[in-house]
Amino acid sequence: MNPQELVQAGIQQAERAGADQAEAFFLEHSSLTIEVRGGRLETLRQSKECGIGLRVLKGGSLGYAFTSDLSSRALADAAREAVANAGYVAPDPARTLPLPATTDPSRAQHDPVISDVPISAKIDLALAIERAAFAEDKRVTKSERAAYEEVEYRVAIGNSHGLQVSYRGNFCGGYAWVVAEADGDAETGSGLAYTTRFGELDPEAIGREAAREAVRLLGAKPISTQKLALVLPPQTASQLLGILAPALTAEAVQKKRSLFAGRLGEQVASDVVTIVDDGTLPGGINTSPVDGEGVPTQRTVLVSAGVLEAFLHNSYTAAKEGTRSTGNGMRSSFKGAPEVGPTNMFFVPGQVRPEDLLAGVDKGLYVCDLLGTHTANPISGDFSLGATGILIEKGRFTRPVRGVVIAGNVVGLLKEVQAVASDLRFYLGFGSPTLLVQPLTVSGE
Amino acid sequence: MLLTRSDVEVILGEALAGGGDLAEIFVERRRTNTISLEGERIEKVNSGLDQGAGIRLLAGESSIYVFTNDLSLAGLKTAAQTAAAALAEGKAGRRLIRLGSADDAPPPPVRKGDMRDKVAIVAAAEKEARAAGDAIRQVMVSYGDNEQEILVANTNGRVATDRRYRTTLVINVVAGDGSNVQTGYESLGGTQGLELLSVDKVRELGARAARRALLLLRARPAPAGRMAVVMAGEAGGTMIHEACGHGLEADIVGKEMSVYAGKLGQRVASELVTVIDDPTLPGKYGSYSCDDEGTPAQKTVLIENGILKTYMYDLEWARRQGKSSTGNGRRQSFHFPPIPRMSNTYLAPGDVHPEEIIARTERGLLVKRMGGGQVNPTTGDFVFEVAEGYLIERGKITVPVRGATLSGNGPQALMAVDLVGNDLGFAIGTCGKDGQGVPVSDAQPTIRIPELVVGGLL
Repeated sequence: MNPQELVQAGIQQAERAGADQAEAFFLEHSSLTIEVRGGRLETLRQSKECGIGLRVLKGGSLGYAFTSDLSSRALADAAREAVANAGYVAPDPARTLPLPATTDPSRAQHDPVISDVPISAKIDLALAIERAAFAEDKRVTKSERAAYEEVEYRVAIGNSHGLQVSYRGNFCGGYAWVVAEADGDAETGSGLAYTTRFGELDPEAIGREAAREAVRLLGAKPISTQKLALVLPPQTASQLLGILAPALTAEAVQKKRSLFAGRLGEQVASDVVTIVDDGTLPGGINTSPVDGEGVPTQRTVLVSAGVLEAFLHNSYTAAKEGTRSTGNGMRSSFKGAPEVGPTNMFFVPGQVRPEDLLAGVDKGLYVCDLLGTHTANPISGDFSLGATGILIEKGRFTRPVRGVVIAGNVVGLLKEVQAVASDLRFYLGFGSPTLLVQPLTVSGE
Repeated sequence: MLLTRSDVEVILGEALAGGGDLAEIFVERRRTNTISLEGERIEKVNSGLDQGAGIRLLAGESSIYVFTNDLSLAGLKTAAQTAAAALAEGKAGRRLIRLGSADDAPPPPVRKGDMRDKVAIVAAAEKEARAAGDAIRQVMVSYGDNEQEILVANTNGRVATDRRYRTTLVINVVAGDGSNVQTGYESLGGTQGLELLSVDKVRELGARAARRALLLLRARPAPAGRMAVVMAGEAGGTMIHEACGHGLEADIVGKEMSVYAGKLGQRVASELVTVIDDPTLPGKYGSYSCDDEGTPAQKTVLIENGILKTYMYDLEWARRQGKSSTGNGRRQSFHFPPIPRMSNTYLAPGDVHPEEIIARTERGLLVKRMGGGQVNPTTGDFVFEVAEGYLIERGKITVPVRGATLSGNGPQALMAVDLVGNDLGFAIGTCGKDGQGVPVSDAQPTIRIPELVVGGLL
């Protein structure tokens, strides 16, 4: 059976097992990862898997089951399990399946070149990343890993309302982690880029970036506790969005787990901060015609000039508030129902060039790396992160720093953003330009 | 068996047809059940079946991994041929593979129960947590079980099967007082069924999570600076796992990314420190009878009285370094190749009573619960958050503090350990490495590190 037929069979089986309404979600996911080290192929991983998830409604309760065994017997078992599971779940009138809507198939991000290029050329590409890192600076002594990676997916979604949509997409990327050594000190650096267009992948740029990042930290030492302005380049600033994103979902708000709950219309960030989620962004890694339950994607302004404007919704959170889904019903696998999550989320860039922004800093820390961002408390927004960076004095880099801790609250930090540069860059689904944050206490020795 | 012996032999023969040193097939069938409760309601009940196979080919220092969930003989042969083609050495020709015999002991029986029993456990935990006080705003409970059947075979003739049944219960509590919002977390897990989750234990777990959230509401912001840190046994061994264990994994060592590289036989920790990895502990969350390459599980002493004894090996890194596998080759699922991983890792108990350790500390931070953390294995630098901490002043526990983090250097901290308690507390977790999560547990007695950097709320 093709994906569309499987989806229809899944819906029929679930209805036969007693579901009032049913949805079937089919995902086929293929990937290729090539890792090289020391000029040789180290690992090659290739995968292809598919599966189907069934979401059913019975008596207002939702049940779920999935299988990667696509035989009709396994599909029937899953349908029965989904209906039985619904029997244990509390009924909820907001549990609905979306109605069919007009979609724009051109939003599918599919570049046939990605799958057409032979594997040998992709191995060469990974090798070129590593070579570029070593060529950039003599102090680069080791390569932990340089890699080429690609992902391809095919999605089919259908439900009892007659919604029926399918699309496919892919993206590719590369990364490098290298070690630089000098005078007994060793530092790591990484370079990384992902794109939906094979032709845009620049292996030399990735290798050079990894080398520069490692070298610039050589000789890093702790500093005393002091107040410093923070300059967060795209790589570290985009990590802040990883902490913020859950709090910007209606799911977190409704579950009283968001620090933004009840604050729509309020100033939650300084007026230079605008945050957007855009599932239609041309070339975005997470751009697609529809979300994980078949609702068309859109551009949503979450924070506009510092004012909280909106939250992200899927069909369920929208139904609870009598509003429309923003097309953020995300699902990364067939093994679960859609949650609410960001697509391509980013800080909207400003006008100033990052080097000009830096030149105006009297005493600051250029933050190269943040350790432990996943430990930040998504509910309170409190964080305490280890950091490495470069000290800025009178607008210039003076010396590398390690072993410092930056602690605070992510909303507090947003209010202290003084300037936003023009250099927007994406790291998979999160993007940011360089941000300048007003002086705060950096704890060191 | 998930596949017949002759099918396995045919598939391994195909995989090695293009050359290579070792071919392996890992077949897995996993049934899972999850329940989540939130907002005083059972929100989700999910059941699933996931099956697939991964074929691995090792050649020199290269490794190829292809996986599929098409378990038909034709599908697996295609996957094997894909792997052989990726190696593209274009020689060898088909090889005849003969498997040895599998002598796997049947796993101990577990009480599986039905969905109704599991839902009742979740509800009991929630009720107890909610009853802890008016300031409790949210209680989230999640239950999960999975039964994993595996078959692994390789061209050395090794063939093994294992059946692992794991159960977990996780409780998150949010407490609030005006705009002050704090959370408490507890979890329990093991290679056991519902016998792990007695009503008493489940209630106790719910109450503990709630107490922690309430405690943090009245906690003071943690001080910042250098001070003595006492880590209670009940904090679990997160620090040992993160700040020491990862650096003892043979792949990290072999890539010269570990501070412990080249230090076998040398003093790497205080002589009070003995670190052990042991997947044979019965019922623990990181336990197994054979690893995911079919190597029998074994207890491995990594550091003995401060001296580095061995690293943790899987087959590939053992082969590269001329060692034997220590039975630490693990993978999240058939989607991933095995890599050296910890199982149940612990710092062995000493002989000092935990209360004495506190009494002998003039000023410091007592850590009763660790949060998440991150480590740079190359330098050994770490940062951990403290989920439950107290000030120690003049040898006594005084006030609870929140928002503390510990940062320091793993090897330096282990070298500095100056008191080791006679208790041992376990914590469970899902350890992430190279994008793979595997179930682990870690443990430690109460220990004192004379000085660490504590980052507080500013």
